[in-house]
Amino acid sequence: MAYVATRGGERAIEQSQRLFKAEMGTITQDRVAEIRTAMPYLIDRVMGEASLYDEDLAALALAQTGGELYEAVLLLRAWRTTQPRIAVAETVTQEGLFTHRRISAAFKDIPGGQVLGPTLDYAHRILATEVLDGQAHKPEPVEQATRPSPARQPSVAAWQAENGLLNGSTPDTLTGNDIPDVTREPLLFPAKRAHTLQSLARAETGGVLALGYAAQRGYGQAHPTVNELRLAEADVIVTHPRGTQFSAGRVKVSQAEVVSKKGEQLELGFSATLGWNEVKVIAAATLDLNSKGAPKGAATEEEFFLYHTEGVESSGFCIHFKLPHYVTFQSSLDAMRDAKAKKTASEKSPEPAE
Amino acid sequence: MTLSPQSLLGWTHEAQLSVLARADSARLKAFADPLIAGLPDISVIENRTGLVMLPMRDTAQGTHFHLGEVLMSEARIRAGGQEGYAMRRGRDLEAAMAMAVVDLAVALGHAQDACRTFLEAEAKAQSDADTETLRRVEATRVDMETF
Repeated sequence: MAYVATRGGERAIEQSQRLFKAEMGTITQDRVAEIRTAMPYLIDRVMGEASLYDEDLAALALAQTGGELYEAVLLLRAWRTTQPRIAVAETVTQEGLFTHRRISAAFKDIPGGQVLGPTLDYAHRILATEVLDGQAHKPEPVEQATRPSPARQPSVAAWQAENGLLNGSTPDTLTGNDIPDVTREPLLFPAKRAHTLQSLARAETGGVLALGYAAQRGYGQAHPTVNELRLAEADVIVTHPRGTQFSAGRVKVSQAEVVSKKGEQLELGFSATLGWNEVKVIAAATLDLNSKGAPKGAATEEEFFLYHTEGVESSGFCIHFKLPHYVTFQSSLDAMRDAKAKKTASEKSPEPAE
Repeated sequence: MTLSPQSLLGWTHEAQLSVLARADSARLKAFADPLIAGLPDISVIENRTGLVMLPMRDTAQGTHFHLGEVLMSEARIRAGGQEGYAMRRGRDLEAAMAMAVVDLAVALGHAQDACRTFLEAEAKAQSDADTETLRRVEATRVDMETF
């Protein structure tokens, strides 16, 4: 692909940015706070795709880009590069999660039981148009139970392994900076599992859903059932200079296991991300479940789905096509004109018969 | 000569730090500010924002992988031969400094009763908030029946 440097248009560029920003008006601290409060799931989606957890920064990115999600994620990814990495926290485990929602579509009686948590799964989808007529839409308060749900819940997969339904997982000895990191190493194929899961954690939701949905509809090898889905909070455990480990706060995480029968046993696909985004983790876990042995070029093949669900790269590549391509396009036109001229010339002077 | 840091009666260092890291920002600053006057001259070693990478264990194969990075505020201070340290979620450098001041005060054995009272109040507020959240979660517990 050939590019050409262009000059000119500085004023137009400056004015075009002003025009974009004019639509949003003045961005204030109050606006950022309102976005943060009113749209937690959008904030979560942006934080997950940016791979940077901070609700205020995510709300600011949304305010600054007018909700243009790809731009908001790009802003956060860019801002992230200005910050030092202070530490790598202790590894989060499923059993340690402060759990808000935990369901299974595979087993109704899982150890610890099922709590629906915050969800619209069973809601009537009715738009509250009365709000537009000036009537406030106030949610009914939750009728709290007398006793709290256990904060920590056991693992369904561990219970299945104990009952011989699953091969138990092998404990990973890598911790801290030894864990492979796609932000510091190239993604090579076949990918390390740590790279695959990290890439899916930061993948673009729509892209993951499209490819995961393709697998679910039949373009994959295994049909998924949700083994365990959790929306939870994870403690970020760091180390004091004196060696004391402590929680520096909690972050929201989503985690999904999908299960399929393989021979006499069950096989799991897994995904997790920062923030609460269950569509993304179910779709991503479906891709993980289907990736083993997937044919080259299939939606479920690791290289295919990891390359095509990286939102910053894919949106950047897509929008680069609107930037000046004058040399390549003129070259195509020249080739087209040349072919046309040759064809015309050959029609005017046919080969003499032998 | 460096003296061992003092500890707070009834509190582990871990519990103390975890409560301070989640303590209400305004209350933490208001509590820490007057403590400074009673401490030796403080040197600030670090007060910055930065990222902490958060790994998770995959339940399918046991692989450790990175979920993403979390924005943190960090503070590290020194006085009287002891260090105070803080790390909290978010970009509130003053709150991190306040947490480090409390950690330092405890290590120096300064204002122990006040520190204990503050920590107990914050721990109760955090525990009450968690209990309320979990009571709301419990209200959504479902017993499935299949037909």
